[in-house]
Amino acid sequence: MNIARIPYIFLTLIGVFVLQEALINRINFLVGGFSIYLVLVIAWTLQEEPSNAMLIGFFAGFIADFSPTLESPFGLWTLILTGFCYFLATTVRGNLDPQLSPLQMTLVTASSSAALLILFIAVGAILGQELSSISILLTEIIGNTLWSLVLAPVYIPVTIKFYKLSLTARER
Amino acid sequence: MTTKWTNRTRLLLVSLLVTSLFLITLDLRGLNIISSLRTAAQSALTPFQSLSTSMLTPISNFLEDLGGLRTAQSRVAELEKENRELRNTNILNRNVEGELKQLKGVLDLAGKAKYKTVSARVIGKGGTASIGETIIIDKGSRSGITIDMTVISESGLVGVVKSVSNNASIVMLMSDPNFRLGVRVAGSQFMGILSGEGGENYSLQMLSAASDLSVGDVLLSRGSSGDKPFVPGVPVGRVSFVENSLGQLTKRAKVEPYVDFNSLGVVSVVFESVAGDPGDALVSKAPKPAPTVTVFVTPTPNE
Repeated sequence: MNIARIPYIFLTLIGVFVLQEALINRINFLVGGFSIYLVLVIAWTLQEEPSNAMLIGFFAGFIADFSPTLESPFGLWTLILTGFCYFLATTVRGNLDPQLSPLQMTLVTASSSAALLILFIAVGAILGQELSSISILLTEIIGNTLWSLVLAPVYIPVTIKFYKLSLTARER
Repeated sequence: MTTKWTNRTRLLLVSLLVTSLFLITLDLRGLNIISSLRTAAQSALTPFQSLSTSMLTPISNFLEDLGGLRTAQSRVAELEKENRELRNTNILNRNVEGELKQLKGVLDLAGKAKYKTVSARVIGKGGTASIGETIIIDKGSRSGITIDMTVISESGLVGVVKSVSNNASIVMLMSDPNFRLGVRVAGSQFMGILSGEGGENYSLQMLSAASDLSVGDVLLSRGSSGDKPFVPGVPVGRVSFVENSLGQLTKRAKVEPYVDFNSLGVVSVVFESVAGDPGDALVSKAPKPAPTVTVFVTPTPNE
């Protein structure tokens, strides 16, 4: 990754993180909640090379670990997002066309956000974190997937815009 | 080249994963720096959260109001109903309070004159086909009431019983044009006949032209044989105007009654005057006329 991109990516992630914590988390969604931060990271990762995706996952996870409402160990999101973004950029993206269609982007992003949440809960449980009831966890996961599908026409174009702005002139 | 790139990527991946695991280990070991990082993040986020709260609160209130509109409407209807009930209860209480006051007054009056009475509530007003100005009371023959009994209130004479059923009686009011009553001027033995003229008007015709009559004199019922239709000594009213009697055989006057027939709630039907004629004993119970107010006007000197 070109080192010039790092500050831009970092600032973008912090901005979205603040938006998530200060605004999105306060909105009362009918079912579960919605994480614009996760879907943006996934959608962005799908545009990147594996090494870049991995680094973006690491930065994103590190920032996500600062969430004051988290009860999981610091570094858990870093671990999961680093590994998952690498997996997305190599395995998932490698099996699809280089230019993903909007529908493919939507489906991959929504299902990946669900998978990420399940992974986070599972690893958290392994590390000894107290879990909510199954119904609450299911509502959260299903709600997040649903809103990721519904709001895809909004956040995917925005993510692609951010991604393109982060590229250097030569990379474009 | 590709192998070199892949190896570098793998090395980077391993480094990043190890760093993550290192962070987790530090946190699980209870390192203070890690927990203070989240506290610092919370401090940094607070202004943004306050801003979003101030932005979102009106919207969320509006949405909550929309959602709670039906609940609010039913609550308003419920409160309005409760308010109506309370208002009715309040009116009822005031009526009861007024009736109690009237009952106490009429019992005082009857007690002072030693009248044997039965109290009754006024349950209706207005003329019937046979009698002009009347009221209906809720006691009848079952309470021992018969026709031609005197009816009094806390202020004085009301009228006379003209019709009786089991549980109700019709009382002819003093104001009825057919009403005639023998009266006596309190403090003297001058007598006259009081006639109702409908409404607020009453006329008094004295039996003798030599009667000494002046404005403000109190009139009392003279009484009938066997206390029917009238018991003696009940305050009736006061003289409000005396006509010039020059050249006339009798003296005439206008009388202002003590009883306000529009506010009658409780009355007493007098069975008999146990102690006979109470004389002028009830004069003090009669309402005193309001004092005349004299207004002195001093013209303002022109400047």
